[in-house]
Amino acid sequence: MSRNVVIVGAGLAGSRCAQTLRAEGFDGSIALVGEEPHPPYERPALSKEFLAGTREELLLQGSNAWAELEIDLELGVRVERIDTTRRLASTSRGDMVWDALVLATGARARRPAAFGGSGVHVLRTLDDARRLRAELVPGRRLAVVGSGFVGTEVASTAVELGVDVTIIDLASLPFELTLGPEVGRLLADRYRAHGVALRLGAGVESVLRRSDGAPRGIRLSDGMELGCDLVLLAVGAEPAGELLLGASVPIETDEGGRTGLPSVFACGDVAAPWSAELSRHVRLEHWTSAAEQAAGVARAILGREPGARPTPYFWSDQFGLRLQHVGSAEGWERIVLDGGETSLVARYLAQDGRLVAALLVNRPQQVGALRRELAPELLAA
Amino acid sequence: MYRIEIDRSLCSGFGSCAELAPGRFVLGPDGIAAVPEAETDDEDVLEAAASCPMGAIAVYDERGRQAA
Repeated sequence: MSRNVVIVGAGLAGSRCAQTLRAEGFDGSIALVGEEPHPPYERPALSKEFLAGTREELLLQGSNAWAELEIDLELGVRVERIDTTRRLASTSRGDMVWDALVLATGARARRPAAFGGSGVHVLRTLDDARRLRAELVPGRRLAVVGSGFVGTEVASTAVELGVDVTIIDLASLPFELTLGPEVGRLLADRYRAHGVALRLGAGVESVLRRSDGAPRGIRLSDGMELGCDLVLLAVGAEPAGELLLGASVPIETDEGGRTGLPSVFACGDVAAPWSAELSRHVRLEHWTSAAEQAAGVARAILGREPGARPTPYFWSDQFGLRLQHVGSAEGWERIVLDGGETSLVARYLAQDGRLVAALLVNRPQQVGALRRELAPELLAA
Repeated sequence: MYRIEIDRSLCSGFGSCAELAPGRFVLGPDGIAAVPEAETDDEDVLEAAASCPMGAIAVYDERGRQAA
């Protein structure tokens, strides 16, 4: 039985793992080690309410609650390396020993080497969001590179703040591969109607700079130049798997978050748990996946069943739309649409007609029914 | 005894609360979660609150401290 759990990473997954250990009655020691100086906080609002300045409070729980749960919060501490034979973590503040180690190191925003320097932002952490927020001033021109959820949510917030926004992406439509061309076209039209310029089918070559070093534009792969005052790189995140694997690759686990090494677990954005349904390891960067995996790891540490792995789910709020997606965004063959731009259900069907995923636009009242249709074992709510 | 509060403006109708604590949480015709009884002894409400992706559910203990 483990008496001494060290959790590396104090994001949602690490925090939820620590909380679940206590909720399940674990009375050994728990150290929750975070590289950022901030107590554990919620990230989803960073691109939305926090960036808009309408919400400041992001803490996962009140700062006293960690002490009350006797969870030792080690903030601003970087784990330099781990020794899985001696069960030792070397940190910037000394060595820690463990009986069970949880790697919840998350992911880092991708920042291609050619795009360093001032005025070029990424958005992953609270400090990133503060830096970006300080620059979102009415009338300034923001170039968003990448039309994924981070890019489009920031575009939505920035437009509301009076910023002039252009989204650049190599794809010919946003979300074309995951949500399909019909939905991609609807969303692209929505973005344009809200005043966002789209430069699709274009890559980014370099950032052009003024003599004082601030961005003045972007050179695109088609040779065109686009004027801007600041840049957001929203081109995905890479798993922080270095401690175990020496590289920025996902840590593969079984369904309970166990790695191949005894007493070493992984959960959250860094982890790729085995999916029995898809017969391979799958890394999902969703809030609900991180929360569920973390609770599963806590139970695995205690030798209990991890519990069922629920249907993948994510949501996005942008341009007055609440998008909710249930199921797996791959492996569909055709789409059945019901509704229009501001109220829509898109059903994604496999070749045999089976429902594999659904997207709802401003239809929260249907998400429960679609989750049950995708996973009939869920209890009727 | 726990007291449950739902911020209905945050609720997105995900429905995990109604699955983890059936009867304590129900989804209304608008798809938004509601609590038939604001007070309960059922500990399942703690896990239900933690499962909410929108952070829309708060559970307080008898001393008024937030328990989830």
